Amino acid sequence: MIKGLFDGKRWLALWKAIPEYYVPGFFMTLKIAVAGLAVALILGILFGTFSTMKWKPAKLLSRIYVEFIQNTPLALQVLFYYSVLPMLFSSSGFRIPKFVLGVIGVGIYHGAYISEVIRTGIEAIPKGQSEAAQSQGFSYIQTMSYIILPQTIRIIMPPLANQALNLVKNTSILAMVAGMDLMYYTDSWGSERGFFAQAYFTSALLYFIICFPLARLARYLEIRSMRLPAPKKIVFEEDGVC
Amino acid sequence: MKKNVLSLALAAVMALSLSACGSGSSETTAAPSAETAAAADTTAAEGSGSAPSEAAPSGDIPADVQKIIDRGVLKVGCKSDIPKFSLQNTATGEYEGFEDDLAYEIAGDIFGCTADEAKEKKLVEFQGVTAKTRGPLLENGEIDLVIATFTITDERKETYNFSTPYYTDAVGLLVNKDSGINSIEDLDGKIIGVAQSSTTKDGFKAYVEEKGLTVNPEFQEFDGYPALAQALATKQIDCFSVDRAILAGYVNDSNQILEDRFAEQDYGVASAKENTGLADLVESKVTSMLSDGSMKALQDEWGLQ
Repeated sequence: MIKGLFDGKRWLALWKAIPEYYVPGFFMTLKIAVAGLAVALILGILFGTFSTMKWKPAKLLSRIYVEFIQNTPLALQVLFYYSVLPMLFSSSGFRIPKFVLGVIGVGIYHGAYISEVIRTGIEAIPKGQSEAAQSQGFSYIQTMSYIILPQTIRIIMPPLANQALNLVKNTSILAMVAGMDLMYYTDSWGSERGFFAQAYFTSALLYFIICFPLARLARYLEIRSMRLPAPKKIVFEEDGVC
Repeated sequence: MKKNVLSLALAAVMALSLSACGSGSSETTAAPSAETAAAADTTAAEGSGSAPSEAAPSGDIPADVQKIIDRGVLKVGCKSDIPKFSLQNTATGEYEGFEDDLAYEIAGDIFGCTADEAKEKKLVEFQGVTAKTRGPLLENGEIDLVIATFTITDERKETYNFSTPYYTDAVGLLVNKDSGINSIEDLDGKIIGVAQSSTTKDGFKAYVEEKGLTVNPEFQEFDGYPALAQALATKQIDCFSVDRAILAGYVNDSNQILEDRFAEQDYGVASAKENTGLADLVESKVTSMLSDGSMKALQDEWGLQ
């Protein structure tokens, strides 16, 4: 069993450390996760649709982004944003705020994955459907919004939820560059007092508190998207004849 | 609702099995190393593996020290990246420095030989530790002693056994030469990078208060000294502040250590709280080395003041 896990004195010390360490850490992580998820979704939808377009440059751009980000470690990317990127702006110590660093770090990284999720989701819809829509006079936007995307959402919901949860957990990589997030404060307090069991258990619980509702929400959306739309009352009865 | 209860129960089961794995793995990792050590040491080859408690020849050797003798090797956590104190030779993999020699001295006392013999017979198994890993490694029994520029504090004394200080160091401030920072007063509003689980932050505040200065820097903690050195080099922090012994290893052409020294701190040999027998042995060794001047001689040998 882990040493000192049930030591009341240690838990008391943890209790006292909560306002100073865990509260700011938790909210920093939460803020980064929410803003990062928004950035990732925007990038993902943008590049995901890019990669399904017929226009070659858009496809190429999307491929470059996805392949480059997917095939390099997140830790390295964050270190790059932290120490190399500021050099491009000035050599006299420009600093990116830690919150922004976190948002672009996980946002860009998971944006690439979400882009792939969306691409595969769109491609999973048989091509005949968009052809049929076109033959009925639907524009590209109309085809997407009425025919393809409603079906896509059902397919991509589980992998998308996966990405969102991973995004939350990956914010912890910021601790490496003193990101003032939950993991940073966990390490900070844990190593200061040596009460690692208490520090990490609490931290795990707090990450769980963020992730679990997100997972439930994703599950709910998934179930809801599986519901077939209620058959509309047919208005143009004449159309049915021909 | 029922589903929720089920998922909670599942989580609990998983947590339990995780902790079970944790304790199990530590046992299994300890066992093979003990066996190999026993095999290498012919005097303690037979019997010790099966019944270690019976192998104790007399009552005056504490059980925790006897365990180390039976194992045939003393496991010590040392830093691997501090010149003069404890540096791992990249060519040979050997640990070299003042703290490593101190470990050999202690091992000599445990196994009843001299420090040179202990070194020759490889009676000390070094493990590289950092400020963050040394505590947990000591607590879960992976190592017997920590001799790794481990500062003695009252809070830590509650968790570990410390010996009498074997060395006193102070904290220093390393800054970039082109930063325009020339004294501690210039650090107001700047970012000072410190190592996790170091006592620098409190020491700095006490020093500033004592001198009657109003210097309010921001502190950021990093996991390990290379990360700090890198952050200083890329100017993400203005100052790198840790023990001077450690700072000395990171001085180069573009940075300098400021005159100020504060938070005099004592390094002690740490052992796990329940290993009182080992702690007593270490304590007597350290105090005897301090009184007969051999500690001083050892520090001089490595060029430490």
